[in-house]
Amino acid sequence: MRPSQVQIDFGTPPGTPPRTSSEFEEIPYPVTHPSYFKTARGCKHEESLPLHHMNEDTSTRRRVARGPGSSGGFMSGDEHESEMHYDDDGKDVYSKPSPARSRVSSGRVHRPPPPPPTSISEFISQNLEHLPPVIYTLLSCWTRFHKIGHANTVIWDEAHFGKFGSHYLKREFYFDVHPPLGKMLVGLAGLLSGYNGNFEFKSGVVYDESVPYVAMRVMMATFGVALVPLGWYTAVELGMSSWSCHLVALMVLCDVAWLAISRFILLDSMLLFFTFTTVFLLTKFHNQQYQPFSFDWWMWLAFTGISIGCVTSVKWIGLFVTAVAGLYTIEDLWEKFGDLRMTNRDQIRHWAARVLCLIILPILVYMLSFKLHFLILNHSGPGDSTMSSLFQAHLVGNDFGKNPREIAFGSKVTLKGMGWGGGLLHSHVQTYPVGSGQQQVTCYHYKDDNNHWTILPTWEAPEYNPNGELQFLQDGDVIRLQHVPTTRHLHSHTVAAPVTKLNNEVSGYGNSTVGDFHDYWVVEVVDDIKQGPKEHVTKIHSLTTRLRFKHQALGCYLYAANAALPHWGFKQVEVSCTKEDNPDDMHTYWNVESHWNDRLPLGDAKFYKSPFLHDFWHLNVAMMTSNNALVPDPDKEDILASSPTDWPWMRLGLRMCGWGDHQPKYYLLGTPVIWWGGTVSLIVFVIVLGIYLFRHQRKYIDMTLQQWNHFLYVGKIAGYGWFLHYFPFFIMGRVTYVHHYLPTLYFSVLMFAHLLDHFIFSARWKDSTKRVAFGICAFLIVGNFWWFRAMAWGIDGPINDHWGLLWRKTWNIYNA
Amino acid sequence: MAANVRVRRPATPPPGLPHVAPSSHKYPPIRQDHLSADERREAASKGYGPGRRSHSPGGLTITSGEWKLLAVVLLIAIGVRMFRISKPDSVVFDEVHFGKFAARYIKTRYFVDVHPPLAKLLITAAAFISGFNGDFDFKEIGKVFENAPYVAMRMVPATFGVATIPIAYLTLRALDCRATTALLASIFLTFENGLVTQSRHILLDSPLVFFTALTVFFFVGFSNEDKKEPFTNQWWTWLALTGLSLGAVVSCKWVGLFTIATVGVCTVLQLWLLLGDLRVSPRMWTRHFFARAVCLILIPILFYMTMFQLHFLILGSSGEGDAFMSSEFRQTLGRGMEDTYADVALGSDITIRHLNTQGGYLHSHAHNYPGGSGQQQITLYPHRDDNNLWRVLNATVDNYEQYDYEHKPIVYIDHGSHIKLRHLVTDRGLHSHEVRPPISDVDFQNEVSAYGMPGFIGDINDDWVVEIEKGDSSDKESGKRLRTLRTHFKLRHLNTGCYLFSHNVKLPEWGFDQQEVTCNKNAVKDNSLWYVETATKHPQLSADAPKVNYKIPGFLSKFWELQQVMWTTNAGLTDRHVYDSRPLTWPSLRRGINFWVKDHRQIYLIGNPFVWWLSTASVITYMIVRGFLLLRAKRGYRDFDNTKVVKYDSLCGFLFVGYCMHYFPFFLMGRQLFLHHYFPALYFAILLNCAVFDLATSTLRPKIRLQVAAVLMIIAVITYSKFSSLAYGNPWTKQKCSNAQWVKTWDFACNEFFEDYSQYSGVTVPTLNRSTPMATIGGEPGGRAAIVVEDKLGQDGVVPPENEQNTAVPIGVPEPGRDVFAKDEQKEIKSQMRVSQDVPVNNVDKKEISAVTFEPTSAAPEEKKEEVKLQAGGMSATGESEGQARPEVTGILEKEIEVGLGEDHRKSHGPLDHEEAIADQVAHELYPEARDVE
Repeated sequence: MRPSQVQIDFGTPPGTPPRTSSEFEEIPYPVTHPSYFKTARGCKHEESLPLHHMNEDTSTRRRVARGPGSSGGFMSGDEHESEMHYDDDGKDVYSKPSPARSRVSSGRVHRPPPPPPTSISEFISQNLEHLPPVIYTLLSCWTRFHKIGHANTVIWDEAHFGKFGSHYLKREFYFDVHPPLGKMLVGLAGLLSGYNGNFEFKSGVVYDESVPYVAMRVMMATFGVALVPLGWYTAVELGMSSWSCHLVALMVLCDVAWLAISRFILLDSMLLFFTFTTVFLLTKFHNQQYQPFSFDWWMWLAFTGISIGCVTSVKWIGLFVTAVAGLYTIEDLWEKFGDLRMTNRDQIRHWAARVLCLIILPILVYMLSFKLHFLILNHSGPGDSTMSSLFQAHLVGNDFGKNPREIAFGSKVTLKGMGWGGGLLHSHVQTYPVGSGQQQVTCYHYKDDNNHWTILPTWEAPEYNPNGELQFLQDGDVIRLQHVPTTRHLHSHTVAAPVTKLNNEVSGYGNSTVGDFHDYWVVEVVDDIKQGPKEHVTKIHSLTTRLRFKHQALGCYLYAANAALPHWGFKQVEVSCTKEDNPDDMHTYWNVESHWNDRLPLGDAKFYKSPFLHDFWHLNVAMMTSNNALVPDPDKEDILASSPTDWPWMRLGLRMCGWGDHQPKYYLLGTPVIWWGGTVSLIVFVIVLGIYLFRHQRKYIDMTLQQWNHFLYVGKIAGYGWFLHYFPFFIMGRVTYVHHYLPTLYFSVLMFAHLLDHFIFSARWKDSTKRVAFGICAFLIVGNFWWFRAMAWGIDGPINDHWGLLWRKTWNIYNA
Repeated sequence: MAANVRVRRPATPPPGLPHVAPSSHKYPPIRQDHLSADERREAASKGYGPGRRSHSPGGLTITSGEWKLLAVVLLIAIGVRMFRISKPDSVVFDEVHFGKFAARYIKTRYFVDVHPPLAKLLITAAAFISGFNGDFDFKEIGKVFENAPYVAMRMVPATFGVATIPIAYLTLRALDCRATTALLASIFLTFENGLVTQSRHILLDSPLVFFTALTVFFFVGFSNEDKKEPFTNQWWTWLALTGLSLGAVVSCKWVGLFTIATVGVCTVLQLWLLLGDLRVSPRMWTRHFFARAVCLILIPILFYMTMFQLHFLILGSSGEGDAFMSSEFRQTLGRGMEDTYADVALGSDITIRHLNTQGGYLHSHAHNYPGGSGQQQITLYPHRDDNNLWRVLNATVDNYEQYDYEHKPIVYIDHGSHIKLRHLVTDRGLHSHEVRPPISDVDFQNEVSAYGMPGFIGDINDDWVVEIEKGDSSDKESGKRLRTLRTHFKLRHLNTGCYLFSHNVKLPEWGFDQQEVTCNKNAVKDNSLWYVETATKHPQLSADAPKVNYKIPGFLSKFWELQQVMWTTNAGLTDRHVYDSRPLTWPSLRRGINFWVKDHRQIYLIGNPFVWWLSTASVITYMIVRGFLLLRAKRGYRDFDNTKVVKYDSLCGFLFVGYCMHYFPFFLMGRQLFLHHYFPALYFAILLNCAVFDLATSTLRPKIRLQVAAVLMIIAVITYSKFSSLAYGNPWTKQKCSNAQWVKTWDFACNEFFEDYSQYSGVTVPTLNRSTPMATIGGEPGGRAAIVVEDKLGQDGVVPPENEQNTAVPIGVPEPGRDVFAKDEQKEIKSQMRVSQDVPVNNVDKKEISAVTFEPTSAAPEEKKEEVKLQAGGMSATGESEGQARPEVTGILEKEIEVGLGEDHRKSHGPLDHEEAIADQVAHELYPEARDVE
């Protein structure tokens, strides 16, 4: 179809619908394209007008800037025609190139604001497109807040996250595997609701009077409420028909699992919220693609970046949605790279904009959350030992800073491994069951007396005299390290270490009178944070001097990487002696953490400072290592855990609390029709895509290029999103739970709606057919939700009195 | 109009651009003038591409002169590969394993290995023909061959190594490269030190590389045929040969799967392009599809399975591999079980086996746990023994000892039956309590022990509930009541609710390396299933009562079981080896493998650095250039309209895909990897290298091209000769050795060589084996592992000690790749029949509970008695030393005590707690001499 024919409709006076044929209706393309011309391309390339945008069948799909599509007639009011008034850019797009192109212009469709409404009805009619989402949001408020305080006990992981929130209120440093943003918001919720931070949040315990748990839960649930409008507007941005938009909103509203997870003090509601916003903002940004570098374009791009930063700062699972945005951007830039009409300058600007907004901005947000974390938590707390000694030195309530600074023979010290996630050199009376069978030496993350070592001279040297002359430790000194509680010496020999077989074993050997020259270690100074490189280090200081310990007889270095010992070593970190002399290997670095020596003057905490970037990186590596250490015990049947294969077909649910008769019971389980429908739609999409590709290769033409691109675009967002949120769980060694699937579910919901849209609501069916199809879907979703609503709102009374919840035998809802 | 004009006369190409009319062909269309119009039309209607009728097979056009050249190359290759192949006359590297497997085949003793059988069978065939009787054991590297036709065995890989070279030549020719290029490739391969070293010994990689090369050759030939005319006899032959060769490559090593992937990717691409060709009707396309599916999927699978069928046919008798297979499988290995009674009832004597692991039978013997409760051990024992016998007793009647099973009606065991299990030899009951087990010291595991004494009936902690999990479909009864072999059941401990459980965890020496048995409160189902293997005749059963036996598995189930065993074991090969390496270090040839050091000679696997690095460089060059072309194409440049670009792109692309498929999957593997895993990829890299050479010299005159190639070949030969002493184990000098250490990480054993060649002419004196006899102190049965700690106190600290401990890992000494199947033999502890009377029984009726699990450390030498028992560990191990007997009152009381103590010793690590401080104090009181020492 030639554009000139389309133009017939431009000047259609308002009020008279420009129906020239039954399918040819409500085509709004001229509203967008003039501005596209002005801002994106200039006037040089008139022939490059994307003609395929104007296909009459598909124009509805491009209409993304406003309310849901109009093909159905269900929601389509007069607002489309009314826009025709404001098409003041001229009727002839070809004859009106606007030479003046402002650098930062609004990328919005050039639409002057409507006159202020004079009556309520006019206001409503002007904003009619926002009415359904508002209604859905109100419904969402009801489902989310209904009976939210019904369970007055600590439910499930509230035990963790409530406690972490308390730590923020008490400002005590703690350690957790998740980034801090979500927990800071929990803390903020506590602060706003007047919680004093003194509740212990033990699992299943009844809340104290002092804990405003309802208010805190409401604040968390607010994030859950926002999912519904986000779902709606994302569907709108994805160019779905109004029917599909309704379905998406309904599914988000009616999924029992999303509902249940967002009603408690957990991070998941925030994670879901930021996942949803990221997808929404990405699609919003996508729809600005014809107005690059306009104000809106920059705004949505920047918001996408911020949202990515937030989602990763809540949980690392957010990296998956980041990967979706990354894939989208790479493909987008690749296409731009092939666009020969674009100037080099614009190419570079596109790249720079992406790097700035999608890489640097999220990193800044992520780091900001950690900066706040460190600023707030400035007291010593349970998580101290995961951080470097220097960091701990300035926490309030920690006395490292007051240790004597210079180390001397006879000092009692603890040694901290400086590798990422390193612990304190530790020994205990248990012996190695393999290798030499001597006493174990490990790295241990908590403070206790078993970490204490005394620095002694060699056996040959005159025995250490507590009253003799002070002899300070220096680079190159040969020492013995004696374990204080057991009097054994740090010892190494040519026995293979238990885990890292290529290294030598390190053990505790002998006692205060028995020992041999295999107890000798040479102190090598690497550098000192205060004093500078090795040449300037005159005396070895606690906390700041980085040391290596070389075994004198074997030449190997004391080494602690992240190799965990088996059960017999209490899963502590293995300490070995590495033969590889790599002077840059952080795992061979040690520093003196605590230092006791009565004869030396005390130090000053002000002397020590720890750089933020170092702490930030250190904490992240520690989080990574302990996240990877969350490995399920293969011998233990964990009824809460589930494997990724259990999720798409809802093989297992999750009891979120105790299952007693007299307490409300919550069961984390999705709405079956949504979960199963989503999974089926993913399979169907793959099959359909395969068929289309096969037919395409056989040169059949099923769709116009524009239809095909749109089909692929939505399919890619949903398909990649689902894939990237699902398959990494197979690779991860850590224990997984049902709620890990919840962000993934969103993409299968989008796919579900997309396929329904593709095959029913945007296809050429009669309106009545579409209406019936919509009715069936909506009924199934709502009906299913109503059937299972109690699982999120709390099941009262004995569970076995409730009938009909066991749709699959594998669900452990009922007591056997 | 304008368009019509263009049809008549194409526009003049812009100056400076080699313009070729865009065509859908990758290669310039073959001139087809000699076909008449009718013939062409007919060919098109059949879906054939235009072309000549007759063509040389596989697109190979080789002149007679080239055949002569090829013969010369082959002779050179034979010379290089088989020179002094009988040296060294002792075992080298993994000959330890593969030689041994040949011996096993000849003795038909069953074994398992992580590799499929084809290459091993070929080696065996050579050995068998030369009269090997399987008596040489290939025990360790450096052992001198006796009665073993090792030359014949080594000839097998060597022959494959030689045969690879003409195959490479022909492959490149079939890929439309010039003869010079193909010659260069064959010379590079001939003089590749790594391939030479690897193919001269009884190893599997040389056959693997050969079959990989063969597959590639056949596939290239097939593709050439396919371009000409499909579905001819020749076409079918090439396709079927590709399939057979694929089967062979994957039957050598599983690495062959990568070759399958390569061929698969290329086939899918072929089919996809064919699909886009509208001249090919859907029916024709379906034919194409199924022809490939049959030949490239079905034939390899059949070939692979045939190899295993042969494997099973040969290995008919039981051997060291039995322990890895299921009981059903072992039934086929000669040492089968006799039929046993099907019915189990109260009063039957039975043996119970663990279903999921190969740990064996529920077992007990007259030895006690050194820690925990100190009661008698319960283990899993893999062999048949009287100590595996248990009598099922009724737990619901009082005085069941005297229960008269002979005259009372028979009572079967149903789901939910309460039973006790009495160990017949020692007369104790299967018992569990709230004490942590010795190894799996976690809070959801309880210890299982044997408890009681003759005449003492035990307590409520001996009661177990039978939970039938599933029966056999062929025997309906077995789902309802316990039947021998057919019923899988769980045993729940009545008192604590935990399930009898076992897993692949071995007890230490005091438990004779047998498998641990625990009682698990959160038991994983798989590891808590048991079945009754044998049942003696119950007195109430008639003599003709039904008997059962294991079902003899068919070939498919045996095949499948073996695949699973191979897979799990392969994945479990994660131990580090002194000479293992990660894939990233392979292309740069960072380090080789020490195969053999003896008599001042060394065999060290190292590639020809020139060839190796050149091939790596060409791979990188290809990636850069292809990436650049990709970017250019995206920017609209029409490079791919140039036929030369298209030709070399598809040629190099094919080889590059092969390289990637044989290299990158290794990054995903966590298992132990060696340099020789790179060889198939290296083969592709060398071919790619030569393809790049072909492209680079395409504009030169043939004579110059030949000269350039000659220079490259000469450099390759020179480099080869520089390192050849390491490949052949020839005399070398220290000087030359250290000169050859171009890279710091090449750790040749330079100190082993003599200063001068003349020293080799004398009588070779074998180097002394430096391993000193291992003096073990301690380690009496039931005690801790024996160790040696020399007291170096007072000695001169400079003298390095000689082998201080016996578990030392020697660094830099050749060591064969680890074979997980060659575990140490199970320690045979034959518990004597009815000897329990001899065992002092006075410690039976008291509970020996140590509050703290750890033993006095045996780290110190035994001579230093004053130091022993320094720790509080033994303080309350009062059972023996203090004779502090605590008479057993009731199970309940015992349980309480145990609970209290269980919590105690859980804290035994980490902070020194209050309790431990007290324990310390008590220890000092008990052992004042220890304090004196302090």
